[in-house]
Amino acid sequence: MRNLIEFIQKLRVFFVFLFLQGIALYLYLSFMTVPKSNYFTTASSFSGALFEIGNSLTKHFNLEENNRSLQLENIKLRSKVPSFLYELKKDSISVQDTIHKQQYNYIPATIINSTTTRRNNFFTLNTGIAQGVSRGMGVFSSNGVVGIIHSSSTHFSIVKSVLTSDINIDVMIEKNGAFGLLKWDGKNPNKGEISGITNDIKITIGSNVISRGGSGIFPKGLQVGKVVGVKPIEGKSVWEIEIAFSEKYASLQNVYIIKNLFRNEMLMLENKKGEE
Amino acid sequence: MTRFYIFIFRFLIFVFLQVFIFNQLEINPYVHIMVSPLYIMLLPFDISVIRLLFISFFLGIFIDALSNTFGLHTSALVLLAYFRPFVFRWFAPRDGYDSIKNPSIFDMGNKWFVFTFGSLVIVHHFWFFAIESFSISEILLILQKTIPSALLSFIVCVILQTLLLKKSK
Repeated sequence: MRNLIEFIQKLRVFFVFLFLQGIALYLYLSFMTVPKSNYFTTASSFSGALFEIGNSLTKHFNLEENNRSLQLENIKLRSKVPSFLYELKKDSISVQDTIHKQQYNYIPATIINSTTTRRNNFFTLNTGIAQGVSRGMGVFSSNGVVGIIHSSSTHFSIVKSVLTSDINIDVMIEKNGAFGLLKWDGKNPNKGEISGITNDIKITIGSNVISRGGSGIFPKGLQVGKVVGVKPIEGKSVWEIEIAFSEKYASLQNVYIIKNLFRNEMLMLENKKGEE
Repeated sequence: MTRFYIFIFRFLIFVFLQVFIFNQLEINPYVHIMVSPLYIMLLPFDISVIRLLFISFFLGIFIDALSNTFGLHTSALVLLAYFRPFVFRWFAPRDGYDSIKNPSIFDMGNKWFVFTFGSLVIVHHFWFFAIESFSISEILLILQKTIPSALLSFIVCVILQTLLLKKSK
């Protein structure tokens, strides 16, 4: 018994080290998969408030660029408003729209803290549960897809951005509808990859890449980027496709959170199908 | 007792420097300057290892809570604190350490500091990037990040010491 106690005392330091290391790794790995709490993240009320102050100091640095991209988006949207179009057919009548039903709600948000050069990059938004944000909603900006809400507290939320190793957003080539998963290799914040497109489909460089809308997180047709390189992988029947992101994530500030109003319905249906 | 307050004050300075200066300074994906190892390095020679581990744990938690890393800094700093006594023993001067002195470049000399702090920074950075990637297939990327980052962090830490410390008598 005494030997055992002596043995444990000798290894005491090692045990304390294992214990603390275990906590740290548990925190990291559990947050990367399914976050349970926000105490040790930038979405906690304390650090969120700190970054809000920080952001109020630095937000003007990229103001011009951000304004321009919002302006461009406005122009694009305005060109689609019916009252701004010249009516060719003068005798048309307006009808109560019963064909279209609103499927997506948008919540505006501002990025208050972000990184773009780490292996897994997370953005902090100043919008949280109080505004109706919850885990799994999509986030996009005027120029492209940004990421998916990873966890949210009352007033802040954390976005798992496109610049993470396992973001896996389903995207497709606009021209021919070939679809695959979006990946990021951690080397260049302006370039991404698409995996899973078989090499019997012809891919041309410069073709548009958009979101496919398969998982119900993003609507179909959101801009992601453009193909800049196609390479065959030796011994595999899939292309290695390199794309350039259409959004500059390093200077991004204004984003929208998408809430799919039909997502629960879709998931319920898919789960029911799985049970049978 | 004043020494205690100095270390508390320095704790806050290092959290601030890491979170609001060096984390925001995103040069490219291969360079990530981390100055938090210097805080652990500069703790006195006669501190107990258990206490050292707990201090580095809390420093890590503070930095993680402010930088969306969820435990990465904590993990790397606890490892660093565990290795510090071993590294100090390997590079001990012939007549042992003088507990009045600080483990800084001014008190212990350039050569001693380069060997001890250099090896600790490499271990810390390698562990940080390895856990961050968490995949063996990315070992090349991990090394490509470790070498330039460790080098730059080391240089920044030497400069920081000249700003923070004076030679003790």
